Amino acid sequence: MNTTISDIWQEIRYFYTNAPLAIQIAMVFIVIAVSATVTAYLVILRSRYRSHRRAKQLQKLMPKIDDLLINEILANPDIPQDVHPSKIDIPTMAFEQLPLQKRWARTALTERIIHFRSNVKGNSGALLRNLYLQLDLDKDAARKLKSPRWDHKVRALSEYVSLELPISDVTLLPLANSRNRELRAAARQAYIKLSKNEPFKFFDSVTDPLLPWDQVELFRIITTTEDISIPNFARWITYSSNKSVVSFCLKLVVHYNQIAAVPAIIKLLDNRDHYLRGDAINALGKLRIKEAEDKFAQLYTTQPLFCQVEILKALGRINSGKYVDFLRNEFLHATEFDLRKAAARSIARNSGKAREVLEELLATTSGQDLLILKHCMNPLIKY
Amino acid sequence: MDTITDVILRFYESAIFVYGLTLILVYALLAILSLVAIRRYLSRTTQKQLDVLAGSPMAPGITILAPAYNEGLTIIANVRSLLTVNYPRFEIVIINDGSTDNTLEQLIQEFDMVAVDFAYNEKIRTQPVRQIFKSRDLAYSNLVVIDKVNGKSKADATNAGINIASFNYFLCTDVDCVLHKDTLLELIKPVLQEGKRRLIAIGATLRIANSSEFDEGVMTRMRPPRKFLPRFQEVEYIRSFVLGKMGWTYLNCVPNVSGGLGLFDKEIAIKSGGYDHSSFGEDMELLTRMCIFCKDNRIDYAVRYIPRTLCWTEGPATLQIFGRQRTRWARGLAQLIKAHFHVFLRPRYGRFGMVVFPYNFFFEVLAPLIELSGIIVYIILAVSGYINWPYAIMLLIFVYTYAVMISTMAILWDQLSFRYYKTVREVLSLCMMPFLEFLFYHPLITIFSLKGYFYFLTGKRSTWGNMQRQGFQKAAAKA
Repeated sequence: MNTTISDIWQEIRYFYTNAPLAIQIAMVFIVIAVSATVTAYLVILRSRYRSHRRAKQLQKLMPKIDDLLINEILANPDIPQDVHPSKIDIPTMAFEQLPLQKRWARTALTERIIHFRSNVKGNSGALLRNLYLQLDLDKDAARKLKSPRWDHKVRALSEYVSLELPISDVTLLPLANSRNRELRAAARQAYIKLSKNEPFKFFDSVTDPLLPWDQVELFRIITTTEDISIPNFARWITYSSNKSVVSFCLKLVVHYNQIAAVPAIIKLLDNRDHYLRGDAINALGKLRIKEAEDKFAQLYTTQPLFCQVEILKALGRINSGKYVDFLRNEFLHATEFDLRKAAARSIARNSGKAREVLEELLATTSGQDLLILKHCMNPLIKY
Repeated sequence: MDTITDVILRFYESAIFVYGLTLILVYALLAILSLVAIRRYLSRTTQKQLDVLAGSPMAPGITILAPAYNEGLTIIANVRSLLTVNYPRFEIVIINDGSTDNTLEQLIQEFDMVAVDFAYNEKIRTQPVRQIFKSRDLAYSNLVVIDKVNGKSKADATNAGINIASFNYFLCTDVDCVLHKDTLLELIKPVLQEGKRRLIAIGATLRIANSSEFDEGVMTRMRPPRKFLPRFQEVEYIRSFVLGKMGWTYLNCVPNVSGGLGLFDKEIAIKSGGYDHSSFGEDMELLTRMCIFCKDNRIDYAVRYIPRTLCWTEGPATLQIFGRQRTRWARGLAQLIKAHFHVFLRPRYGRFGMVVFPYNFFFEVLAPLIELSGIIVYIILAVSGYINWPYAIMLLIFVYTYAVMISTMAILWDQLSFRYYKTVREVLSLCMMPFLEFLFYHPLITIFSLKGYFYFLTGKRSTWGNMQRQGFQKAAAKA
């Protein structure tokens, strides 16, 4: 048997040595391809086995964790409800039956604590946080925060935010200016959520654009954080040179109905950036600022199409009746379909004088104009 | 005479050697880049992020466009499946493309639809729209049905949908496709995360639905197809989407966003003229025109793919239907290359002109022709006794093992990223396919591609996809 294998090997060597270069390369690639394929199968089998084993372990552990959290913390009759959570001794002994020396078990427990905490309020939430701290689960997060890997840092920040654990500004601010976009965004969210001093401080220094995704996450953090002192966003609308910050502040102004910021927004109507102007018009419309109507009418003819559409929509939202004739003219004479539709919708949603205009238009128009009116009046059609 | 033949043969050999080597290197590069792109995707995407977007008032609106032609067997289950999508702001537009069965009647009855006076603005020319329907039931207030004259193409139907789409982004799918509930969240997220570039199209991985289980239009159990032909397609899809498209995504050189699932920037799509109803590969054709439009107008654009499977489609289960599909695809590709050859190797068109288009030309369109020529030369040389058999066999083994390795890598990337199948046995049943693909499946693809080119050259008339559906497990039973 040994002789046969040795013979084959000798033959392959002879074949390889005497083959042209292309064939030699092909032979090397065959060995690489076969090895890679076999390795791939082994990796697939190993990863399937490991994930299967982990799933089984978690399947056993999760009910135990849930039982402990409910029986020992959330529904424990021995825990007084009228005492401040910091003065309550948490029965951590019960949790020692869990295999917390294993990282995956600690991760599972942390995830369940976060999950339960997001569904309870008041003392229970504080008790869960105390449990997390007393079981030293925060050490994993602290280690992750010091890791050179950005994704570990992001996970640690998310954990801190979910449990509302304080992080010093000295640690957070450098991360909020990190070159890595994900880390930067996570640090900014953490800063807003956890900073005790000025949660919106980074708005002053941010130079890179806040991406729409960053805005979605920041908006959620800002609007769902309790006890956050909301500043007057006019400060950044007026002074920030970062257009995305201004645009984001406009959305926050609308959300918080900050009428005090209106003068700053009206000034923005003279901004040279079309998109910012469009956002400002949109915000003024949603805030229903009647004082802005004259300015809208004055600006209208010089604006690009999307700003014109925003002006027509804003006039509809403000619903003062002052510019119904303006809307009527645009509906009848604009050449762009989108303008006619926006004007018609604004007339249809206006009350008072607009009712008469609407009836007149219904009686006098035909063809596509009439169709647009009927489209805008139909309650089944949203857009 | 012998000398001339020798020279030609030597030139042919060298050309094929360079061609083969380039292709091998491209695949190796794609395998590496796709892994990087997948890992990047995984590290940047969490379910929590999707939940945040699902509850955000800042999520951009999206219109789902689903053309339907004679889909009476499954239309209700399909629309119900689309209605399960989890997104804060979307509408579904079903375009009944002049069906001759009861597709429209079923929709009207099931969803309490009534004809409305809808201001239809024809930004892209289509066959006339007869009526537009909206539901009286508040539960279906985001459902719109267009009834139009048959345009003999999916492209014409989709264009009608684009014309009435209310939002700036539209998702194009086939009405028989089953979407994952997070499809819109997953696809819009890269748009919101894109920095300086304008993301004009984004796609995600599609899978073959044939043996998977569905309940009320929701995928409940994912399985590799039991039949060999659809299972070959499953492996092909994994290789194409998880390895190919993800590799190209890393280079911003995605050549095509599948017609089964793709999110598009409406403004760019309209300005590019919408889908071409005369094309047999309308999805790739539209993306090509969108890229060319962006380059012509100096718009810094990007096209992306995500590796997660968000859509399941019924793959052809018989050779006849499969052949029809692939012949059509090949014909569409040939059409596209001919129609846009002016961008070939033009630096002005950046990566599109210098990488995407040449790749499509050399390694997609020419590949079956080169393969055919190789077989002919091989036979001639074999008959004339010019073949060095040991070397020839060695080269054949090399090509075979390399092809198996690339497909296996794609399955590995997929398995490491997403644990889609429940049992190891199911995964192994997929892993078996690369060994057989070279012998059975690949020759079929080549034959159907050559047939498609022949039809392209002879101008044979053909219509779009009336693929006899067998329906999905459970879903079909309910329908």
